[in-house]
Amino acid sequence: MTSAPRLAALRARVAALESSGPALGVLPFGDARVDGRLAGGGLPLGRWHELGGEGMEAETAAAPAAFAARLAARAGAGAVVWAARRPDLHAPGLEQLGLSPDRLLFVAARTEAEILAAMEDALRAGGVDAVVGEVEDVDLVAGRRLQLACEQGRSTGFVLRRRPFGVRAGRAAEDGPSAATTRWRIACAPSEPAAGEPGLGRERWKVSLERCRGGRPGAWIMEADDGADPVRVVAELADRQLPAAHEDRRRAAG
Amino acid sequence: MGQALADALALVPALVTADADPEADREGLEKLCDWCVRFSPAVAVDAPDGLLMDVTGLAHLWGGEAALVADLLARLAGNGVPVRGAIADTAGAAWALARFPLDPSSRPDARESGRESRDPASATPVAARVRSVGAELAGSRLALTRVRDDELLVGPDWTISPPGAHRAWLKPLPVDALRPEPEAAAQLRRLGVRTVEQLTALPRAQLAKRFGMGLLTRLDQAMGEAEEALVFRRPVPPWFERLAFVEPISAPDDLARVAADACAKICARLEASGRAARRFELVFHRLNGTSHALTAGTALAARDPARLARLFAPKLEAVDPGFGIEAVTIEAGRVEGTPARQGGLTGETDTAEDFAGFVDRLSNRLGEDRVWRAAPVQTWVPEKAVAHAAPMSAPAGGWDPERPRPVRLFRRPEAIEATAPVPDDPPLFFRWRGRLHRVRRAEGPERIAQEWWKKPLADASPERVRDYYRVEDTDGARFWIFRTGLYGGERPSQWFVHGLFG
Repeated sequence: MTSAPRLAALRARVAALESSGPALGVLPFGDARVDGRLAGGGLPLGRWHELGGEGMEAETAAAPAAFAARLAARAGAGAVVWAARRPDLHAPGLEQLGLSPDRLLFVAARTEAEILAAMEDALRAGGVDAVVGEVEDVDLVAGRRLQLACEQGRSTGFVLRRRPFGVRAGRAAEDGPSAATTRWRIACAPSEPAAGEPGLGRERWKVSLERCRGGRPGAWIMEADDGADPVRVVAELADRQLPAAHEDRRRAAG
Repeated sequence: MGQALADALALVPALVTADADPEADREGLEKLCDWCVRFSPAVAVDAPDGLLMDVTGLAHLWGGEAALVADLLARLAGNGVPVRGAIADTAGAAWALARFPLDPSSRPDARESGRESRDPASATPVAARVRSVGAELAGSRLALTRVRDDELLVGPDWTISPPGAHRAWLKPLPVDALRPEPEAAAQLRRLGVRTVEQLTALPRAQLAKRFGMGLLTRLDQAMGEAEEALVFRRPVPPWFERLAFVEPISAPDDLARVAADACAKICARLEASGRAARRFELVFHRLNGTSHALTAGTALAARDPARLARLFAPKLEAVDPGFGIEAVTIEAGRVEGTPARQGGLTGETDTAEDFAGFVDRLSNRLGEDRVWRAAPVQTWVPEKAVAHAAPMSAPAGGWDPERPRPVRLFRRPEAIEATAPVPDDPPLFFRWRGRLHRVRRAEGPERIAQEWWKKPLADASPERVRDYYRVEDTDGARFWIFRTGLYGGERPSQWFVHGLFG
């Protein structure tokens, strides 16, 4: 037996161990440059995904929220539950991102624990296809519970990592182990309006897939798209453009 | 009565006056009627200022009719309701005796035909004063009817006619005591017929011809020769159930079991009447007389005992049984009819029910105002454009898709230091939360002015406008910023960040 089939067999066993329960399908980005790096050819549904921001966005979480809204809106036709502590989410803005107010249920929690508990409950509930929660951190136990809830309720979770204003979190805390299936970092990117047009172009983000079970990390510039796909990939960023800190982790994961 | 306000004020300058409010009077009377149910199950409202109560076979519970009426009047007086009462064989006679009190020493057979008809105002001065400017509940009097010896019993503010004696006692009363039509009463007075006795002496046929059958009917009703239909008020059966225990309970398991039993009891009643409720209150009554109430609300009207018990289950921990709980009561609120629903066959119904269950669990755990759905508000002011609607409310549509709105909107716009070159241009630089942002691209302005039509015109000012811009800094972060005031206006313009597009 050569090493290649053995490696493939091992990978299949690891994948079987890592994923408990049958997969629910994927949400494809519609671009081979992204889908090729994700296991199964798209964002796995029936799992939970972690989204963080960079710089200012780590506190405001506006770009991750916009990105999560576009994904959540396309994760199914059922209700979307959005649990948060800070009351700064604006429903008209989310509607313009494709999340109709008729589908969206807001939960205003008081504590982080309440958000996580509400997320679990929502993930298990029937008629809910996507759940978004804004929390500071998800530890391994809470992450595992979320995963079980996702599998039981057959819905997809999105955790927006959001630090309180003015608090400096250590880099280690953000890069610690996580039970999430994928971990993304979303930052705003300068927009490019069509030639000769004034004002702002379509929203663009610098999206880095930092961690992905059964897949490979990558980084892209993505743009908002009105079509069936959540986003349109504008450019793939070369590996060297990934921050050096993520390079080691990428090797470890890949 | 019927006195002009100016005349009344001339007589009594310190007179307190109030506008007539027949609606409120009626409501007050109905409330009083419901209260009186503790004395008799049959109480009727006698508008505008009386109550009629059937006390047949009830007097022995109080130890006699006099004790009953005295207790009733004392309780009402204690509540600030001055009332006169009377008990007689017929409703008409009781009505008359309550409003036209007699002196018991005046024997009816003494035939004091010259007896003056008393002015009711002298009997109840308080009531008469109020009524001269529009009656209030203070003017209500109570008449009690009874079916059962020969002397007139008279208390400080009540009269009891012995059984079978009401005919004799009605005779000296003025004709007004028969509840005649106002025209008939006026005509009788003109003809010099003042008392009931004078009236009964007249031939019936002539009376019927001149005054119509109305007066004769009233006379017969008071005398007991004609039936009188009273419309008794039936209070709505309350959605209330009670479980009492032989031995006080305190174990958590027992609490959970009795909670489930109470839920099952109220749900069985709701089911039987084809209704469902959206709010339930479960009260644990301790031995020492204190109680602990738990409430649960549902997004859709519910009557499923198992689901209801599950809503109460997490709250039972907070119940301190103390020395033990001797009774549990449950009350359903916001009871509504529910369309018959067939569940269990289609998957869709299950999903909807499951979702409703999740919403109920969440809103009972976090609080009702913490789970909501966004609904549009017709306003231009961005921070007021979103209303919180009930989670299961009908879809209410959306907002104007042509106007870009941010994902994050700050409740209070945050002031920024900005450098703008020309009055109507977006800024080149601005500093927000200690960081300098260089504007790369900008879009706008979208002018949102004060909603002047919602406030007094004196507060409106053309200066109160906001010019909103979408700007993007060199990193690509997109802000929703605005400038208040006009360039060169009274107040210097100021820039704010109101939201982030992300």
